Formats: sequence, C-alpha cells, structure tokens
Amino acid sequence: MNALSLHRPHRLLPLLLLVLCCVFPSLAEAARISELTDTGMLTRAVRFFTFQDPSLRYALAGSMLLGVCCGLMGAFLVVRKLALMGDALSHAVLPGVALGYLWNLTKDPLAIFIGATLAGLLGAATVQLIRSTTRHREDAALGFVLASFFGVGICLFTMIQNLPGGNKSGLDQMMFGQAAALGRGDVILLACVTFLAVIAVLLFYKEYLLTSFDPGFARSIRLPVPFFHYSLMLLLAFAIVASLQAVGVVLVSAMLVIPASAAYLLTDRFARMLLLSALFGLCTGAIGAFFSFVGRSLPTGPFMVLAAAVVFALALFFGPRYGILPRWWRQRSRSARIQRENTLKAIYHVLEKDDFRREAVTFKELAAHRRETLEEARQQIARVADVELVTVQGDVIAFTPDGWQRACEIVRNHRLWELYLTHAARIAPDHVHEDAEMIEHVLGEDTVRKLERRLNYARRDPHGKLIPGLEDIRQGPLGPAIPPGGPTVPPTA
Amino acid sequence: MTDTPSPPPLEVHDLTVAYHQKPVLYGVDVAVPPGSLVGIIGPNGAGKSTFIKAVMGLLPLSSGWVKLFGEPLSRGGHRVGYVPQRESVDWDFPVSVMDVVLMGRYGRLRLGQRPTRADREIARDCLDKVRMLPFANRQIGNLSGGQQQRVFLARALAQESDLYLMDEPFVGVDAATEAAIIALLRELKERGRTLLVVHHDLTSARDYFDHLMLLNMRLVAFGPTAEVFTPRLLQTTYGGRLSILTDVAQTLGSQP
Amino acid sequence: MSSLVPSFDWQQVFLQPWSDAPAFSCWIVLMGFLATAACGLVGNYLLLRRMALVGDAISHSILPGLIAAFLLFRTSNTWTMFFGAFAAGLVTVALISFIQRHSRIKPDAAICIAFTTLFALGVVMLSQLEGRGSFHLDAECVLYGEIAIIPLEIPVTLGGFTLGPPSVIRMGIVLLGIVAAIAFFYKELLITSFDPGLARSMGMRTGLWHYGLMSVLALVIVSSFEAVGAILAVAMLIVPPMFAAQLSDRLPARLGLTVLHAALSAIIGYHLSVWLSCSAAGAMVVAGAALFALVWGGTLLRQRLQRGTATPPSPDNFPEPSR
Repeated sequence: MNALSLHRPHRLLPLLLLVLCCVFPSLAEAARISELTDTGMLTRAVRFFTFQDPSLRYALAGSMLLGVCCGLMGAFLVVRKLALMGDALSHAVLPGVALGYLWNLTKDPLAIFIGATLAGLLGAATVQLIRSTTRHREDAALGFVLASFFGVGICLFTMIQNLPGGNKSGLDQMMFGQAAALGRGDVILLACVTFLAVIAVLLFYKEYLLTSFDPGFARSIRLPVPFFHYSLMLLLAFAIVASLQAVGVVLVSAMLVIPASAAYLLTDRFARMLLLSALFGLCTGAIGAFFSFVGRSLPTGPFMVLAAAVVFALALFFGPRYGILPRWWRQRSRSARIQRENTLKAIYHVLEKDDFRREAVTFKELAAHRRETLEEARQQIARVADVELVTVQGDVIAFTPDGWQRACEIVRNHRLWELYLTHAARIAPDHVHEDAEMIEHVLGEDTVRKLERRLNYARRDPHGKLIPGLEDIRQGPLGPAIPPGGPTVPPTA
Repeated sequence: MTDTPSPPPLEVHDLTVAYHQKPVLYGVDVAVPPGSLVGIIGPNGAGKSTFIKAVMGLLPLSSGWVKLFGEPLSRGGHRVGYVPQRESVDWDFPVSVMDVVLMGRYGRLRLGQRPTRADREIARDCLDKVRMLPFANRQIGNLSGGQQQRVFLARALAQESDLYLMDEPFVGVDAATEAAIIALLRELKERGRTLLVVHHDLTSARDYFDHLMLLNMRLVAFGPTAEVFTPRLLQTTYGGRLSILTDVAQTLGSQP
Repeated sequence: MSSLVPSFDWQQVFLQPWSDAPAFSCWIVLMGFLATAACGLVGNYLLLRRMALVGDAISHSILPGLIAAFLLFRTSNTWTMFFGAFAAGLVTVALISFIQRHSRIKPDAAICIAFTTLFALGVVMLSQLEGRGSFHLDAECVLYGEIAIIPLEIPVTLGGFTLGPPSVIRMGIVLLGIVAAIAFFYKELLITSFDPGLARSMGMRTGLWHYGLMSVLALVIVSSFEAVGAILAVAMLIVPPMFAAQLSDRLPARLGLTVLHAALSAIIGYHLSVWLSCSAAGAMVVAGAALFALVWGGTLLRQRLQRGTATPPSPDNFPEPSR
C-alpha cells in the first residue's frame, strides 16, 4: 500500500528472535516426561515458575511457539475473512494423522506431520474445487470438507483401535491436546514451523498484505496471487498440524482466530495487528500450559482457548478505540455535553428575548422558557456550573466568558445550519429546526467557516433572528467585556 | 376512484434517513397524486433506492413519517407492490419462475395457507402479460437479465397493488424488454394505479414519466414532467454535491 | 496394513448382519436414516441462507450445555440434558450476533470465536467432573457418537406394545415434526429465505423466522447428537443438501432427494462399517460424502461431454455471469 508501513514488520524480528532464544536453551538438557509426584497446587505452581521440570520446559516452549505461529497465521485468516478455513483444515487433517500413524504404527512426529499436511492441503484444494466447479458457496464447501474428512478420520481411528499391537496411546490426545505429552521432536517441529512462518511473513510482508487486501489489483501488477494463496495455506496447514499435539483438532482454529481477532479490535495497522496477535498467542499459550500443569494432566488446549477468550473479551469490552465500554462512555459524555449546551442555549434565548439588555437570568425564567419545573432547571444549571460555564449567585444565573462563547457558538451553528438547509438544500423552513438541533453540537469550526462563506456571511436566520458572528462571540453580551465580578444587575421584573 | 378526495397513495413528510455510515436523505416532503407514473431521478448516491426502501419500511427512519393511502405502513402495506433491484436476491435459489410469481400472492394468504387455484391463475396471467409464460417452469438462474426483470415485474403484478415501487427496473435490460416494461407501466397507470420508478437515464426519463421527482440527498423538485424537467432544476440536481451537507453527513455517520 | 482392511466377503458384509442380528442392524440403520434425514432437511434451508457453519457452531457448543445442565440439576435424565443442550445452542446464536453487533469482527470469525470458546469451556468442565468421578461422558462420544449402543437401550413400550429404543423414537418424532413444519410453513420459509425484503414488506417477521429456524436446528442437532456426535452432525446437516443441490434446482425435489440421500448413506454406511469394523456413524458420513462426490463427478463429466459436442448447452442466451 504505502511505503511507510512496509518496513514496519521488521520490528517483529527482534522480538520473535528474542522469544526463540529464550526458549531454546531451556530445551538443551531437558529430558523426556518425568514422573510427576503428587504434590499440592502451590508447590506445583512454584515448580512451574522455577522451570524445574524438564517436561514442563517442553510443554511451555511448545505452547508459546504454537501461540506465536498460530497468531501470525490467524491474523491473515481474520483479515481475509477465512476464519472458518482454519476450522475446516484443522478437522480435515485427521485422516492424515491416522495415515501417518499407520506408516509404521508408532507416533512418529515426522510421519504424522507429513500425512496431516498432505490431508490439509487436499482439504484446501477440495474447498477450492467445489467452489470453482459447483454452485455451492464457500460456507457449504468448508462445511463439507470439515465434516467428511473428519468422518474418514474417525473411521480410520476406529479401525486402528482394532489393530493388534502398536502404541496408540498418543492418538487420543490429538482430539483435545496435551501439551505435557510434547516431546523433543514435537517442539523442534514447532520451532521450525514458527521460524518458517516468521521468515515468510518478513520476506513477503507487502505481497501477503496486498494479495489479502486486493487480489484483483495484485493480479493486475503481475503478482502470482495463487502462489501466495497456496503458500499461505501451506503455512497454515503446517501451523495446524504442528499445534495438534498441544491443542487438539477441535480447538486449533480457536488459537488461530481468537488472538488475531482480539488484535484486530485493538489496532488499525496490519503490521501492528500481526505483532499483537503473535504476542497474544504467546501469552495465552503460556497461560494454558501453566493451568494444564498446575491442574495435573488437564487438557492444555481448552485452557489456552479460554485464556485467549478472556483476552478477546477484554479487547471487546475495554479496547480503547472500538471497545464497548469506551464507546458507551464516549456516547454518555457526548450526550452530557449536548445537554449542557442545550442549557446554555436556553439561557441565551432568554437573554435574547430581552435584546440583551441584561446579562443574567433567574431559574424561574429559565424553567418557564424550557417548560420544565424549577427543580429540573436547578439540576441542569448545576451540571453546567460544575464545568464553570455559568455562575450562580442566589437565584441568578450568569454566563462566564467561556460559557458565553460556547452559547454563542451553539446558537450560531444552529442558525447557520437552518439557513444553509433552507437556502442551499431548499428544504422548507419549518423542517429544519429538528435537524439543526442535532447538527449544532457536531459542527466543527472548519465547517462553520465554510458555511459562512457559502452563505455570504448572512446575519439573519430563516426566522429573522440574529446569527451571532465572531465579533459577538469575542465580546460579552453587553459590549466589550463581562464585569469580572460576575453578574450584579438583578433581573427587572 | 380518482375523483373522490381520497388520501394520496403516498405521502411523505420530513423524511430523513441515516444509513449506517452516512445520512442519505434530508427532510423529503412529497405527496404523490393517484394514477401518476413517477420517475425518481438523481445522480448516483443521491438516495433514490434509499427513498424506496424507506417507504417500504426496510430502513429505519431518522425522522418524519410515511403514509400509504392515508395509513401508516403497517396497515397500508398490503396495497403496495415492490420490485427490488435485481441483484438483491440469489438467482441460484432453487425455485422456478412460477414459484417466484406466486410469491406475489403470499401477502394475501394466511399463515400456513397454500396458494389456491385462483392464485395460480392470477400468477399465470401476470406471467403472460410480461410474455414469460413459456418459461414458467424454468429455474430462475437460467434466464437472461431482461427476463429476470420481467419475472420480478410479474411478481409485482401478482400482488395486485394500487401503488408500485420499482427500484431500477431498467438496469441490464435489452431495449425490447425496456419498451415492453414501459408499455406495461403505462397500462397500469391507465387503470388508476400509481407507480414510482427509480430511473437513472435522464434522456429517456422525459418520455417515460408524467411526473418526476428530482432527488439529491434532499428533494430538489417534484411535479409534472413538463414543469420539472427544466435545465435549471436539472443543474441543481446533478450539478455537484452540496459539499458541506456531505461533510456533515460523514461526521455524523462516523459517530457510533 | 493388511490387517487394517479386512478382506471383503460379500456374504459376511451384506447378509450376515441381517440374518444374525436383524434387530440390531435395523435400529442402527433406522437411527442413521432418521438423524441424517432430519438434519439434512433443516440443512437445506441453512445452505440457502448461507449459514451452513452456524450448524457447526451449534453442534460444538452442545457439550457445555449438557454439562451445565448436569451441574445445575444434578441429574443426567434425558430431558434435562436435552434442555441444557438446546439452551446452549441458542446461547451460541445469541453470542455470535452479540459479537457481530458490537464490534467490527466479521461473521465467520464471530462464529469461530463463539463456538470454540464454549467448547473449550465444556471440555474443562468435563475434565473437572471426570476427575471427581461424578459424571461420565466419553470424550469420543462427544465427537463421533455411539450409534452402536442405541439398540441396547431399554425399549419404549406403549400399551404393552414394544416400540423400540427411546433415541430412535425421539428422533422419529423430531423428523415427523420437521416434515410437518416444512409442509405447513413451506411458503413462509421459502420467501424469508429467498427475498427477506419482500417478506418484510408483506408484514412477515423475518427475525422471528430466523430464530425459529435456529431453534429447530438446535433441536435436530441435540436429538441426533447422541448417535452421531457433534462433528458428524455437521456432515449430516451439510452433505445431503449439497448432494440434492447437485441433482435438482427445485426446492421440493431437493427436499425429497435429501431424504433419499439419508436412506442410501445410512444403509451403505452401515455395511461399510461392518466390513471395515469401524464407527458406524463415521462410515455413514463417509458413504454420504462419497455419494456427493459421485454425483459431483457425474455433473463434471456431463459438462465436459456437453462442451465436447458442437452444440452449446441448452440454457439460452446468457448475457451476464450469474454471481
């Protein structure tokens, strides 16, 4: 897109390398799963944080690596609206897992990896084929691949169970994942896949970005779009297959989609989204491993997914820009501001009725003008007085200089807009008031200048009332300045 | 029917519609006289389709009201036939031409009631009027663009409404079909029906319609074609957007 | 490898199951047929509304529903479980629309987030319960069901007349209900799926029909869950309508073909499972997918042949590409 954002992803590199460096030394002398003794929760937590357990080191490293690699791939899925592709592929690899096991009837990570990757690619190709040769839509194609491949996988699995001999113990864990069962081979595989994903993203960042955002344009500048699509699918299949052991078939798609979606809610830049998504993946992977370890032989996948879901929920509710609560809060403060401005406007109107012969109004007048009770008027004024736009002395309300200026602006906005609608847009004068009631609070100074120019600096609104100009706003209601001590003139009855 | 002081088929007062992103229509005031063939004209993005959808109650109104035959939509709705844009439905849907035309009768049937023989007869007649009877058993995807449009028209005819709202019925239609459609619209008008047709071609608009409604985010003019089709009004309609109106519309739209 | 695929013996695969244990075979095939037919009929409408994967979402989220119902009421009685799963299905739909409405997350991601989170919650609760030994729900059963235990259920008797296993009876009632609902509300379902705008202008409540369909969807998934599990239920929702769509472009014909597909895949799948001695539900899904692949290959072949001959295909002048 623009040259600026292209070199941004290189900031990813140091961070990811750092992670890899932290992870590898810890693996160096780690041994295969050791016997876990029965101890209390707290002891286990302590053991977690001191990394005494070699199996824990594998589990933790594996979970974090898979978080990073799924997070990176997931970001592409989310922006390409292919979230369910991850779901479909993760189910579709099942027959490949079974066939990889059948290769030599042991749980050989490499054989399973190759078989599952092939099955995943076959699934992706089937989706593409169904879409291009039938009238079925993408959702149907994905569902078909997901369910029918899974069916084949289930048949193979039940057939394997009838086989004599062989070590099938690890296969059940493919469903829900068991990070504690990660071996050295699994972790190395995960590290390789993560490394590959990071390198691919760094090298081809701008190509992947462009083919995701606008494939048509990418094709027009001669980028090999299918190559980038399928290379992404291949990386995705790698990521899914490598993560199966730790998260399980059903929940891999969650680790792809949830951290990336949370990142999507927090930023508008794709490079930053990749980074955040990988970071969220990393954290949730670690949290999942922690709970799985502390809770003893609990499946890891669900805990990772729940951790990711918590992150997502936080982003959904508290994300500064798009979060539900910040938006609600902004909405609330805006309506409070509109209420205050309406009160100021009402004071202005009351003063205007008397041709600005005085500079203060009473609660009674204000209440009468707005057709509300005295109590309501007092509440409204209290809110405005809180932000020092008016001063109240006994029964009398007067503008502060700021308040006067704001009131003038609001009234000016209202009347300019009415004039604009009737003059330029030819809307009947009796229709414009309601619209202006809303617009007056949102017109910026820029727009106001444009409006004034467009309307030849008109001084009268469609109802014949004066539009306060810049000069009026700078001066007080009664000439050059408001007396500093506030209002002194009592209203004449 | 036209002599009695009956309420106008369509009356719109101060209609303002805000789409999710930007408000598209400001304070439109219109009362359409019965038995008129009205062309809704305006540049792209002027809110022509929005107007139709708002009248049909398919979009929420920001302000104002719509009355059909003097009644709100909930009670006057059954007297209105609606022809949406052709792209609005899935043409791979497994229904035949006849099924689609029969849908025009559904509004008159009770919950769970089957279309009767009489309904089928009416649907058959309507198909015949648009010369699509030979295609009655075809799946709707196997039709050309003009034929699809004629099916929609037949469906609207089957609704036997007094007021028709049509969204761009001439888009992607060959010249012969266009002539056939306009002849049909005139025939309906002769029988006292009122028709509002969104149209994008200025040159043919003058010949097709007896009333014109010039829209560009607000109502520029409404009246008999001879009075409204003037260079000055057309210039106002097509001559550039009111930039400030658009600006403010976007400011409003960007707020949650 | 040779021990994986037993040698094919015609008699053993096709005749023995019916001669040795006729009741057993009969109930399994019947259950498979009823579940596939009920799911497939509902699936037709899902596919037309482009919501195929909402079925996927609901079927996954049934697990936490079952467990939550157990935790709340402390019984594993059928109706409690049924209620819990049904409620979970509706919660999923609501959660999806909540995420969609309040953020810029796209629908596909929203579906994925909602169901995986609920499913994860379910697995965690399940493993906690199992740790205390108070609840037994086989994880494998969740994923691919236990159709083989259905003939072993205590049969329902009505007035001294033995009807059959309760799951089968329940499934039959659900199927009958669905057929009746489609027959009665045919035109409403048709028009709200085809042209919601027109439906709304005629005064139909499209939102109500949407939630109605979602409830029925939850109902069929819950009732076939026991037999086929969460994920294979998705296959039964999607594959039969796809098979039917390949063969016909009329809705009534498609509905009929869906039922036919259900029958074929149940019978073929059962014999496949006898031959390979694998999960019957899985084999039914494989058979169903194979039937689709067969028909798909057939249409591709026909298109190729038609293109080969000189005359262009019959559908007339086609000025623009259909989208």
